[in-house]
Amino acid sequence: MTSFDGERPDHEALLRELVGSEPRRLRSDHGDVIVVEALSKRYPNGTEAVRGVSFGVRSGEVFGILGPNGAGKSTTIGMLGTLVLPSGGRASVAGLDVVAQRREVRRRIGFAMQEVGVDDLATGRELLVLHGRLHGLSRREAARRAALLLELVGLGEHAAARMGDYSGGMKRRVDLASALIHLPQVVFLDEPTEGLDPRARAAIWAALAWLREALGMTIVLTTHYMEEADRLCDRIAIVERGRIVVSGTPQELKRAARAVTLEDAYLHSTGQALEVAA
Amino acid sequence: MTTATWLLTRRTLIQFPRNPMVLGFSVPPVLMMFVVFGALFESVKRLPGLPTDNYFEYLAPAAVLMTTVPGIANAAVGLASDFQSRYLYKLLTLPVSIGSIVAGRLLADGTRLFIQAGAVLLLAIALGAQIAGGLAGALLILLLGTLFGIVTFGVLTANVALKSQDPQAVQSIFPMAFLLIFLTSAYQTEEQVPSGVLRGVIGLNPTEYVLRAMRDLTLTGFEWHSIALAFAVIVGLGLVGLPLTIRNYRSVYR
Repeated sequence: MTSFDGERPDHEALLRELVGSEPRRLRSDHGDVIVVEALSKRYPNGTEAVRGVSFGVRSGEVFGILGPNGAGKSTTIGMLGTLVLPSGGRASVAGLDVVAQRREVRRRIGFAMQEVGVDDLATGRELLVLHGRLHGLSRREAARRAALLLELVGLGEHAAARMGDYSGGMKRRVDLASALIHLPQVVFLDEPTEGLDPRARAAIWAALAWLREALGMTIVLTTHYMEEADRLCDRIAIVERGRIVVSGTPQELKRAARAVTLEDAYLHSTGQALEVAA
Repeated sequence: MTTATWLLTRRTLIQFPRNPMVLGFSVPPVLMMFVVFGALFESVKRLPGLPTDNYFEYLAPAAVLMTTVPGIANAAVGLASDFQSRYLYKLLTLPVSIGSIVAGRLLADGTRLFIQAGAVLLLAIALGAQIAGGLAGALLILLLGTLFGIVTFGVLTANVALKSQDPQAVQSIFPMAFLLIFLTSAYQTEEQVPSGVLRGVIGLNPTEYVLRAMRDLTLTGFEWHSIALAFAVIVGLGLVGLPLTIRNYRSVYR
């Protein structure tokens, strides 16, 4: 498994220790864990960010939402993560309505946001322990998982440092770790590897793939990176101007477009290139 | 208190020492104001009607309010800062209500102000003031001052923070805290206020009723009627502020 630097301990052993007591409890065979029906969002300024999208995500699946800036990816994932109120349609996560049962949905999800929000005065360890405790973990279990997750994302040595002193990449990694502290049934990742160096990005991919395999975690992610989507996602929805243009497995998308790469398939579907963030 | 509120209160309490500006600059101005005002207005005690020979004794409850009422706005500044850093949105992805987030901030700053207002009372005692209600009376003075700060300026500024999500907007309403306190019998008795209009305003200011209970505890001891009235004012203001705050919770969601 890829590591953040050459001298890290065995990440697979860390992951095994992390999930040891929760073997495959997250996977459910009862159909779609996420159901989205005609979901829409119009902001008070009149912007129609999402225009009646519908899709389902199966339990244990990695589902990618791809599209250019302003396509409605973050708004869609924000509505599923209970941060944005839908204007129309409905959505459920783990059988729970994202508006009416907001608090219950939050117990079952982890959310790493595009614009990372961390508490600059807290240390990385304090943040993870607090989030674990707010999810109902005991102090001891929260501390145990915090130590493992910080080690996993390469921040073990910085666990006691205040996050105000962290770099942007370190903040993104601690934010991602905090989304996993309660080993959620569903993880929403909004541009999870934005701004990370290639090694860190590869390590995150490997960790997510491992957690998905070990726990049956369902993962919904938005990304600009075609390689990320191709490598991680079981199915992909390409969105543009608030609508799903096409969806399917990466192979299906490429086959339908007679394309070699996912980016070519995207270009074929939408007629434009993705705007890759700097 | 819910577990989430306690965990979020604890988070802020742990972080106070990491922000020395909050601790270092919140009490000295009040202490200086207390000493300066006490010296400047000392001659008030020669006017008829002041119920004590020691003006610092008369001024002490007002100094407690000067600590707790403006000081509680720090909770709202913290809340608005959490919006700006986007950490508040991260908290909202957890099974935590906005009520717990707001209450956590207010209770942590309330705890800090309870202790800091205690330092003001200790200075008053050092300057010759006596607390007729004894230690229990002093603790009740601090409790009344802290609770009043929370339900008035604390709730007001928290709502400004929820609506504006901007620390500067919160700071811009600081002067209102002083207005709340100045329009009372904080510095001279109501009878010594020359304007009938001002006396009428003082009679309408809820701060006056809490201040009277605190002053009674300082000068005469436990006057249960005034203490009950003060708590009634605090509960009443809380009942007004709570629905307003809950209404503003929704504005947090985009």
